[in-house]
Formats: sequence, C-alpha cells, structure tokens
Amino acid sequence: TLKLICTTTAVQRKNVGASGPEKYTEAFIKKQIEEFNLGKRHLANMMGEDPETFTQEDIDRAIAYLFPSGLFDRQARPLMKHPTEVFPEQRKIQWGEDGRPFHFLFYTGKQSYYSLMHETYEKFLNVQKHQDQLIAQDLPLQKEKRNLAGSRWLTKIELEEMLLEKVSDDDYSRFIQLLQKLVALPCADIEEKYIQKFSKEVPLQLQKVVIEPLQHDERGVAFSTGEGKRKTARATAVVYDNGTGKITVNGIDMLHYFPVLQDREQLLFPFQFLDRIGKHDMVCTVSGGGRSAQAGAIRLASAKALRSFVTEKEVEFMRQAGLLTVDPRVKERKKPGQEGPRRKFTWKKR
Amino acid sequence: ASGLGRRLRAWLPRIVPVRWSRYNPSYLEPEVKKESHQKPLEELTLEEREQMELKAVRPIKAAPPSLSSSVFSDPMISKFTNMMMKSGNKVLARSLMSQTLEAIKRKQLEKYHKAPENEKETIECNPYVIFHQALKNCQPIIGLSNITKGGKTYQVPVPLTDNRKRFLAMKWLITECRENKHRRTLMPEKLSQELLLAFNNEGPVIKRKHVLHKMAEANRAYAHFRWW
Repeated sequence: TLKLICTTTAVQRKNVGASGPEKYTEAFIKKQIEEFNLGKRHLANMMGEDPETFTQEDIDRAIAYLFPSGLFDRQARPLMKHPTEVFPEQRKIQWGEDGRPFHFLFYTGKQSYYSLMHETYEKFLNVQKHQDQLIAQDLPLQKEKRNLAGSRWLTKIELEEMLLEKVSDDDYSRFIQLLQKLVALPCADIEEKYIQKFSKEVPLQLQKVVIEPLQHDERGVAFSTGEGKRKTARATAVVYDNGTGKITVNGIDMLHYFPVLQDREQLLFPFQFLDRIGKHDMVCTVSGGGRSAQAGAIRLASAKALRSFVTEKEVEFMRQAGLLTVDPRVKERKKPGQEGPRRKFTWKKR
Repeated sequence: ASGLGRRLRAWLPRIVPVRWSRYNPSYLEPEVKKESHQKPLEELTLEEREQMELKAVRPIKAAPPSLSSSVFSDPMISKFTNMMMKSGNKVLARSLMSQTLEAIKRKQLEKYHKAPENEKETIECNPYVIFHQALKNCQPIIGLSNITKGGKTYQVPVPLTDNRKRFLAMKWLITECRENKHRRTLMPEKLSQELLLAFNNEGPVIKRKHVLHKMAEANRAYAHFRWW
C-alpha cells in the first residue's frame, strides 16, 4: 500500500480509548505506575546516573543500550514508558449498583457527543440572546474578526480522545459546522474560553525549517550545500558566492548536460526568482531518474542551498512559490488484473 | 486498496476519492509570479490579506516542471503545448510551438516593412499578443449539451465555464490544423496561418464558433430543459 506522506501524526494515531469500557481496573494501573517508578530508579542506578533527574529520554537510551534489537518495526522493540501512555485512558462504568445509568443521555448510545452538542448549542443561544440585548439597547456590536488562519479545530481523533467514545465522520462534521456558526456570530467573544477548548494553534510553516549558516572554503568564498530529490533522482548542489553564473553538473557544463530548454529553465528558476542570476556559481552531482527528474532534483537542491544566502522573508516567498517542497508524485504501481496503473484489459464480449 | 480507502477517509470524511493526488488536501497551489510577492502590505485588500495569512500556515505543493517565474513561461502557451503533445513527446511539441511563434513574427514583420507609414502602428508584431487575442476570438460564449427527455435527445444551449471555453478554442485550433491541410505543409506554418486569421476574426475556426452560436440560437426553445 502507498506509504502515507504529507499527513500529521494526529491523523495517523489510532484511538484505542474509545473502543470500549475499561479493560484495566484502577488498582492495576496504580500498581503499574509504582512498578514503573521503582524500575526507573533501578535503571538509573544501573547506568550510574542520578535517580532523581532521570528523564524519559535517558530511559529510552538506556533501554536501547541494554536491549539492542534489530527489528525493523519500531513498535515491536522493547519499550519502557509511563503506564498512562501505554494503557490509554478509558471510560469508567457508566451505571451504578442498581443498574441505573448516571447520565441522562446514556440510552442514546453516544452520551458524551450529544451532551457536548447540547452544551455548544446552549452557548450559541446565549450569544444570540446577548446580541439581541445589545440590539435592543442600540449599542454597537463588536465586529473584531477572529484570526482563523493561526488556529485549527480539533481533528476527529483528538475529539474522540476528549470524549472517550467513538465519533462518526458525519457527527464530527456536524460538530465542526456548529462551532463555525458559533464563531461567525459578532458577539462570540463571550464564549471565547469555551471555544478555545476545541481549537489548537497551528505554528507558522516557516518555523518548522532550520536554515543552516554559511560555510567558507579555503579561499574565503562563502558557499552552502543542499540536497534534493524528485522521483528516483537524487542531487546535491553546492552554491558558491561571488560567481559568474556558471553551472556544472557531474563535471559537465549545464548547456551540454541538459540540451532541452525546459530543464535549463528549471535549473535557473530559483536564481531568477531571487534576482541572483549572475551572482552565484553552482557545482552539482546528480544520479538516477530521467532528464526531467534530474532537473527537478537539482532545482530543489539549489533552492535549499540558497536559503542560507537570503533573508527570512525571501525564504517564505520561495516556499510560497513551491520551490522548497519535495514533489511527492512517483510512478503509480501496476495492479493485478489490469494492464497498467489505470488502463484495464480490452473488454471482449466473448 | 481497502486499507488505502480507510486511511484516505481519515482526511476526507464524506468522499472517498477515485481520482486522488499524492498531496494532503490542506496543501495550497504555488504562486510563481514575482510581482505578487513584491507588493507592499498597504495595497492588499482584506481578502488578499486573509489569503496571505492562510498561506503562511498551510504547506504548499511543489511547482510543476512546466511552471517557472521567468518572463518566457506563459500558462496559456504551456497548456496549448500540452494539448498539441502526442505520446508524451514534450520536446517536439515545445519546438513546434516556438517555430509557430517565430513564423508569426516573421509574417508580421514582412507585412510591417511592406506597409505604408500611416498603417505601421496598427500592425501587431508581438506573437504572444496575437496568440492570446486569437484564442480569445475563438472562444464560444454558449455551448450545446445533449439532454435526454422522454426518449428523445435534444441539443440544449448551456452556459460554459471559462476553462471549458479556453479548452474548446484550443481544441478547435489543433484539430483544424491537423486535418484540413495539404499533405506537405508543416504544423507550425499551418498553425501560424490559422492564428493570424483568427486574430483578424476570419478563418475556419471562427466560422465553427459562429455555427455553434447559430445552433444554440436555433435551439433556444429547449433552453428550459436545463436544470443547473
């Protein structure tokens, strides 16, 4: 199956907590926690470190040292983590000794979801009442627009973890629609605290990338390296400062290596975007892939190398121009029963 | 394949796509033009500011190989080259396109040097301008679509989207050049001829557009069959 790329870990995590009522009693979990703490101190003593300041990273390193494992699957290797991470939070029994359930919505099947919808709608009506009061008193409504770009709603899995029960896709989208309606009202600032429970901040994309500082070679010329890939081609580029705009690929001049105009355009794209065509020299090595894939790989490598020469704003512009993302498109595999990835065999009536 | 469908459903709750892309749907399209990045903050409208903020947070797709920020790359011309391409031979299609533009320039320059002084300003020499204007002239305003009602199929006049108009104009030009030409004429020559005729609102492609408009006008009675 296709390996999932360009997704967050939040989407890929499975929610074990919502699968059913608790399998582990509270006493069992308490015992596990005590055993874990004891074991942590023993491990610290064994490694010769201070038991008081032994962090989770130290535990991981110690276990990897004491129990080396050659297994490929990370989840199959020996693991020592706090029991709350290993045994996920689960719902307690929802009914008392006489068999009567505690929550009034128990027999709907999705009690926490419906109670959540109930609460959210109550807040919505609250805000509307407040709005009507302001209109009745002829006071101006607050029209400050909430910044939607810096925050995102909880994903379905995070909502399931919060409610500790399974939420279907339709239910989730209904909940998000209700939240959006609530936020769209002008006086929604009253319920800001409630809304913040369901929204998470998204960090700026730019901050996820680390820009390396410039290096200097023997003659004092500043240079920086970058790596790029496209389909099966892998390229490394070294961009030198104070150059004449010469580009060498695998020891051959770019005019001879790429006879097609489109590939040369792609090589010069990052330089042309930053208006630095005659100012840099480039030496690159590339292997694998075809002619267009090699050009794309070198383009990505040179764009990554140019990040060190340029201000942060221009790096952001490069990212928005699509120069710094790895192109994930690869050749689709052929499927059994078909002639190619999409083409089916000729249909014959008999 | 079922595992794929289940995982894809995680990010597209209601639709399991048949035609999928390797990008997560939160990825936005890249903006290659340099001018849009060099605009100062004050000139941007509210919508553009919101777009900018959204772009700062979301990841962006990689720019395709046919797109570049140089002055020579034109999205319409690349679209046209792709439509002319056969069996993935982009090199040949690109060379044919450049030969066409060269031929247009040569013909226009010949006309320019032969023309008297007062007409010299009216002759357009820029092949890109001629290409864009010719395509615009070839675009139909209204199209026909087959709607079956009560067993009979009617040709119903229907409004067309911008993309569809551009596609039809380009398709007509290419089919016209491939079919109605003498065996020995080459594609660039025939294409440049057709583009110049279309630029002056003459030629077989414009005639085809007018024929389509007349059919739509004739079938005006069935316009109420359309439900969208």
